[in-house]
Amino acid sequence: MNAELLWGMPVIGYLFLAGVGAGALTVSASVLLRGGGGGFAGQHYSIARYGAFIAPLPLMIGCGLLIFELGSFDAGHWFKWINLYKTINLSPMSIGTWLLTAFIGVSVLYAYTFLPKTPGLGDYRDGLRTLLAWLCVPLGIATAVYTGVLLGAMPARPFWNSPILAMLFLVSSLSTGVAVILLFRALFPGKEEGAEGKPMVGDYFKRRDQSAYILTASDLLLVGFELLVIGLFIMYAHLTVGAVKEAVSVILLGGNLAALFWFGVVAVGLVAPALIELYYVIPRLLGHQPFDVPMGVEIIVPIAILIGGFLLRYVVVIAGQITGPVGI
Amino acid sequence: MRDEVMSTPVKRRDFVKGVSIAAAIGAGTAAMPTAAVSAKTGTKPHYGMLIDLRRCIGCHACSVSCKAEFDVPLGATRSWVEYVEKGDYPNVSRSFLPRLCNQCSKPQCVDVCPTGATWKRKEDGIVVVDPDICIGCKYCLHACPYDARFINPVTGSADKCDFCLHRVSKGLVPSCVNACIGEARIFGDLNDPSSKISKMIATNPVTVLRQEMGTEPNVYYIAADHTDPHFAKEGQYVRVDTHRRQPERR
Repeated sequence: MNAELLWGMPVIGYLFLAGVGAGALTVSASVLLRGGGGGFAGQHYSIARYGAFIAPLPLMIGCGLLIFELGSFDAGHWFKWINLYKTINLSPMSIGTWLLTAFIGVSVLYAYTFLPKTPGLGDYRDGLRTLLAWLCVPLGIATAVYTGVLLGAMPARPFWNSPILAMLFLVSSLSTGVAVILLFRALFPGKEEGAEGKPMVGDYFKRRDQSAYILTASDLLLVGFELLVIGLFIMYAHLTVGAVKEAVSVILLGGNLAALFWFGVVAVGLVAPALIELYYVIPRLLGHQPFDVPMGVEIIVPIAILIGGFLLRYVVVIAGQITGPVGI
Repeated sequence: MRDEVMSTPVKRRDFVKGVSIAAAIGAGTAAMPTAAVSAKTGTKPHYGMLIDLRRCIGCHACSVSCKAEFDVPLGATRSWVEYVEKGDYPNVSRSFLPRLCNQCSKPQCVDVCPTGATWKRKEDGIVVVDPDICIGCKYCLHACPYDARFINPVTGSADKCDFCLHRVSKGLVPSCVNACIGEARIFGDLNDPSSKISKMIATNPVTVLRQEMGTEPNVYYIAADHTDPHFAKEGQYVRVDTHRRQPERR
């Protein structure tokens, strides 16, 4: 294959970063709502706070990267992308532009409501936070799905033109979103949230370990789903004939991207972290043992999942461009 | 060069302009209806092209005239020719496939454009790009199953064949049609059943490229089947050559 890449690193980076941000926001908002919103959400508040602070940044960086990929930028028209905001139509990119703008606006506001370390009684931000969280869940999911729809909209790109690609990106976004929260929790443990955290009343587990367990267990579930969706993606592509089957063959045995996909995405990015997570989750789940994960593992596992998420975008974006329709 | 004039209806004013160029150098001008709407069919024109590969010799006159007409930057092509070599000695063949934008009736590129910079003209069915609006996001380059679009490095916008709109609107045929020495290219109004292209399409077995994409192209081919490299037998020698920067079909 000798294909010229129209969409390179900026787009790959953007798809990954948008996924991480959207995942972090969705997880943050849904954890907050699950814990009863503001007020005395306790441990939920702390998890949600990490996600809320992380979410806007990757989106902003990702959107910034996209500008470097524009032909108009290369030609010296640096601000021509403003044209995106002069219209709205049914192009996935047009809808996505407005969606991302709404996402960045809402997520920045949502992060602002988390400035206090603990939810204060009677703070005006409490009501706002819950209200924004209700907006953040659909916005986050829509943004994660959009990154897949953007690629999936074109029959002329058979590798991308799969209804399950958006689903794959959504599940990957959520799992990388959880991973990034886990990573930042491990790297920047708050004072109250240190390893010597106070035991919860009526609970024999440390608060911090309890929240780590919730996050790790959900991540494990999401990684499992992601493996399933990848399996379905490949299976249905392989079961067809013609362009789609030829396209998917680049990530199957003997294909140009097979090694990167199976080693990078599946082994390093999904299976290995899932097995490690399983090793620590099982005793807590089945044996009611304390959930105790060493610091090193707490850092390495999310990093592996993030690497897997990035490589997934990389493989998908490249594979879609080096394959095409067959025939004249 | 003699400019061939279309036998299709154009506005009188535009027609006079066109003829003043064409007639001045003694081109043969067929009598043309003067109304914007065809008197024969009562409809707007819908331009299309038919490329008769039995008459194509792969001389690249179309590619060169297109380059000259638009000053297309180096490495980019609005119109190009693919050379397809197939077979093992002594059973070998070489065939040519001239390519250009298919001016589809259901253009995927238009569907995905986020800025509305590209659209299909209601007046004549030609798909155009406005370089002042286009931001060069390359979405349409992906969406086109024919690889007809490219980013013009000068304007930074998507660019492609527009059937020589500036010529066609003045009653002249596109530059590639004008330059074709084998008369392999026939341009005209698909809505007018008495036009040469309509008659040729009605009386010949024609195909379009990548019909399965559902784009309903308006560029038709006669005898294009032989240029499909996928029809070669397993292990047979096949080579597709173009002068494009991107040599392989996508």
